[in-house]
Amino acid sequence: MITRSHWKTVLGTLFTALMLFPVYWMVNVSLTPTGDLRRSDPNWFPTDPTFEGYDAALSQQLPALGTSLGIGLGCVALTVVIAAPAGYALAVLNLRGGRTLNFLLLVAQMIPAVVMAMGFYAIYVRLGLLNTVWGLIVADSTIAVPFGVLLYTTFMAGIPKDLVHAARIDGAGPWRTFTRVVLPVSRNSTLTVALFAFLWAWSDFIFASTLNRSGEFVPITLGIYQYIGNNTTQWNAIMATAVVASLPAAILLVVAQRYVAAGVTAGAVKD
Amino acid sequence: MRHRKPLARPAAAGLTAAALALAAACSSDGGSGDAETYTWWDPYPQHTDDSAWAERVDACGEEAGVTIDRTASDTTDLTNQALLAAQEGTSPDIILLDNPAVSTLADTGMLTTVDELGLDVTGVDENLLAAGVVDDAAYGIPVGANTLAIYYNAEILEAAGVDPASITDWDTLTAALAQVTGNGDKGMTFAAIGTEEGSFQFLPWFWGAGADLRDLDSPEAVAALELWTGWLESGYAPNSVITNSQNTTWEEFLTGEFGFALNGTWQVNSAAEADFATGVIQIPAREGGIAPAPTGGEFLIAPVQADAERYDITRQIVECMTTPEGFVETATTFAYYVPPTAEGQEALLEAEPELEPWVTAVREAKGRTSDNLGTDYPKISEALWTAVQHALSGSATPAEALQQAQADAEAALG
Amino acid sequence: MTTTSVDPAGRASDGGAAGPGPAAPARDGRRRRNPAGAARRWTAIGFAAPLLAYLAVFYAYPLWRNIELSLHDYTVRAFVQGDPAFAGFEKYAEVFTSNAFGPALVNTALFTLVSIAFQYAIGLALAVFFHANFRLSGVLRALFLVPWLLPLIVSSSTWAWMLNSDHGIINSVIEAFGGTQINWLTSPDTALTAVIIANIWLGVPFNLVILYAGLQQIPAEVYEAASIDGATAPQRFWRITFPLLRSVSAITLLLGFVYTLKVVDVIWIMTTGGPGDASLTLAVWSYREAFGTGQPDFSPAAAIGNLLILIALVFGFVHLRMQRTWERS
Repeated sequence: MITRSHWKTVLGTLFTALMLFPVYWMVNVSLTPTGDLRRSDPNWFPTDPTFEGYDAALSQQLPALGTSLGIGLGCVALTVVIAAPAGYALAVLNLRGGRTLNFLLLVAQMIPAVVMAMGFYAIYVRLGLLNTVWGLIVADSTIAVPFGVLLYTTFMAGIPKDLVHAARIDGAGPWRTFTRVVLPVSRNSTLTVALFAFLWAWSDFIFASTLNRSGEFVPITLGIYQYIGNNTTQWNAIMATAVVASLPAAILLVVAQRYVAAGVTAGAVKD
Repeated sequence: MRHRKPLARPAAAGLTAAALALAAACSSDGGSGDAETYTWWDPYPQHTDDSAWAERVDACGEEAGVTIDRTASDTTDLTNQALLAAQEGTSPDIILLDNPAVSTLADTGMLTTVDELGLDVTGVDENLLAAGVVDDAAYGIPVGANTLAIYYNAEILEAAGVDPASITDWDTLTAALAQVTGNGDKGMTFAAIGTEEGSFQFLPWFWGAGADLRDLDSPEAVAALELWTGWLESGYAPNSVITNSQNTTWEEFLTGEFGFALNGTWQVNSAAEADFATGVIQIPAREGGIAPAPTGGEFLIAPVQADAERYDITRQIVECMTTPEGFVETATTFAYYVPPTAEGQEALLEAEPELEPWVTAVREAKGRTSDNLGTDYPKISEALWTAVQHALSGSATPAEALQQAQADAEAALG
Repeated sequence: MTTTSVDPAGRASDGGAAGPGPAAPARDGRRRRNPAGAARRWTAIGFAAPLLAYLAVFYAYPLWRNIELSLHDYTVRAFVQGDPAFAGFEKYAEVFTSNAFGPALVNTALFTLVSIAFQYAIGLALAVFFHANFRLSGVLRALFLVPWLLPLIVSSSTWAWMLNSDHGIINSVIEAFGGTQINWLTSPDTALTAVIIANIWLGVPFNLVILYAGLQQIPAEVYEAASIDGATAPQRFWRITFPLLRSVSAITLLLGFVYTLKVVDVIWIMTTGGPGDASLTLAVWSYREAFGTGQPDFSPAAAIGNLLILIALVFGFVHLRMQRTWERS
């Protein structure tokens, strides 16, 4: 038994290493001096490392990182606030025309991001939301909300009806059933939706570049463009920024995964 | 049993609405209508708020008695941002725009002419001003111009026994490449990527053969493309040129493995700091002489504003940026923009005499949208870089590719 | 049993015979009679209200705008001035008869189908692998999501770097093993393959997360019963796991399809759709028309965008059909 588990760990590590090789390469490039970047015989290790990329990233990009974090968390909150009740309505309360709504949500996800961004520009100019962090939070949530509703609906539909009926018998109204029974049981979904919403908001570029160009607080995806000049690009600074940006989020991911893996056993969703 | 349900259901909806309202109240969008603030957009995000460039811009604003609110964007994005803003009526007061895009914006009616602005452009070199001229009206003034030339690795050339001064036309250039590769090094690298940068790098050869942008399939044009495909086939240029941007080309040159690189004024400082000695030669025309290279560099343009009173201050800001001293400062900030006026060029040469080959190149250069090509140029350019891509990747012969390009361009221009 | 509930609008209503229940069947396939009738309906609408408002403002408007863009001739001048000529279906005709349409359509089909096939297969294999919960499986699974954290410009550029014909690490490795240099990004034969590989890499985390969550929903008792019956591992997978994952798989594949249809950044940064049109997909073509040249061509771009939405819609209907069939069975 123990050897079997070790063997799997080794294999797992191998797969992960393979998957993360491009990320390793990114780190490699971030430490490579400009003159060696395009050598026809690339170095596997940065034999002559330069830290100027990290200097630039750490001294200039930290505010942008903070902004990205704020936008990510805001987006998570907004997405959950909109998607969870909607999922509840569709799955448990049997909303009339739920099928249609589901389908509309699917259609909503088919609209290319560029189309959305251009449409939003007009709306935002009129609402005065251009170049604001809140504007970006709302825009980024449009990426996650349809997916969130889909996920919540699927999940909540699997909640045993007895659970809901038990609450009802106890005299709880729909709202209380939602907050006291359904939401806690759907913790897995909430965490998954939060994860997706955060990651999508974190890596968004199109909305940021169209809607928050001149703002005081720009997210990291725009901050990186500082290193892309008219005809020149500072690759080690860009890669260094990406590394610096990914590290805290990666740690967050590892911690969150452990929490999700702990699972919700009592009253867990059963098929 | 009855339970009072808290009004929490509308709360979520209310939360969203409240958020939006809060955001609207706190929005920090600097209005382009405020008499004390003038908005300025430029494509230099690498020059942050504490850079010398930003300080200069601020200083010009102060001189005119206003504060300047500056936003820097990626250059490809800038045109679209400008269009979106014009559509909504929120155009900034001044934009620094890449010169081939000026005629596109001018055509929409969103720009003021220099006459409307009251700006005097008589001192500006014709060939440089022409890029922003549409139907005999000038729509802006160049902030400086840069262009292309051939950098060489002095050590590699010496080792191969090549004298840079002997490269005077295409034959001698190809012979030099053969010598360099024969000696074990790599020949030349350039950018043939499927974007405007690719056309930019191809044009000196195109024009140097005597071809015209209205006739993409002329024998001269085919000869130019055959020059490039010939180099690739003989191994004088690497296959990766097809995806190379100008920046990548330069990074390849810096490895010290290449004898030549086609690149621009903006790398002068980097060349000086390279691990090996470098030099510059002009791009030769097919039968000798200097090939006209396309001009890069931005124009200072002023979008139309609802309040025409603003033009006076706008003009003052522009004039402040375009004095001869101003031009030299711009030149050095952007390593290097050659000033577009004779006065400015002389001032620059006084300060930096080693820029002489570049000043010469700029004097021989040509705007891409000149010859009244204006808004036709982008369509022709797209067809041209596509043809280059097809020919270099081997999916069509140069003649076929250019024939297709001419057909596409004619169809696109209607 | 009668229940009285107060709905958000503050109206109290009697339970009991307050009208017919909602028509939509519940997920378990049986028709439900809802005793609280109208009140229930309003409650449900109340919960879904934020979403409905959200959809109307943020999706309906851009969609309408896109349709409007495609039905008029939006030259750059018309875009700014706001006075485009009505063009009907002319722009669509232009798109269909263009040289690039055929290649773009074929490339889109190849790119999408191959990408999701591999993303799904690899994602599923990894999900099953990690389901065994060995040491470090949580950490490793989390690390698999790191590609997602990277801005697309970084991950796409890194792939372009690695696949470069002359100084890329992948060609280095191939040559070290005695192979010949492959011009990944510059040859019309391999450009599409190169971007597909990068896209598969980008899509595996998404599939992994969802399929893993789906796997976790399968109760352990089912597996226990199977092993008592003497089922081998492959049998367990194909007879039990795979069928039970059916609806999760379907939604994963559908979403994967929709998301892959929209992919622009990866291809744009690696090859700009080139060389020529070798790796041009419909989405990249749309982007190129609008933003890739010096002269933005918004109308054809919008037309191509709408075409993409239509294609996705067709597959959405297929999915709906399949779902209905499964629920009846």
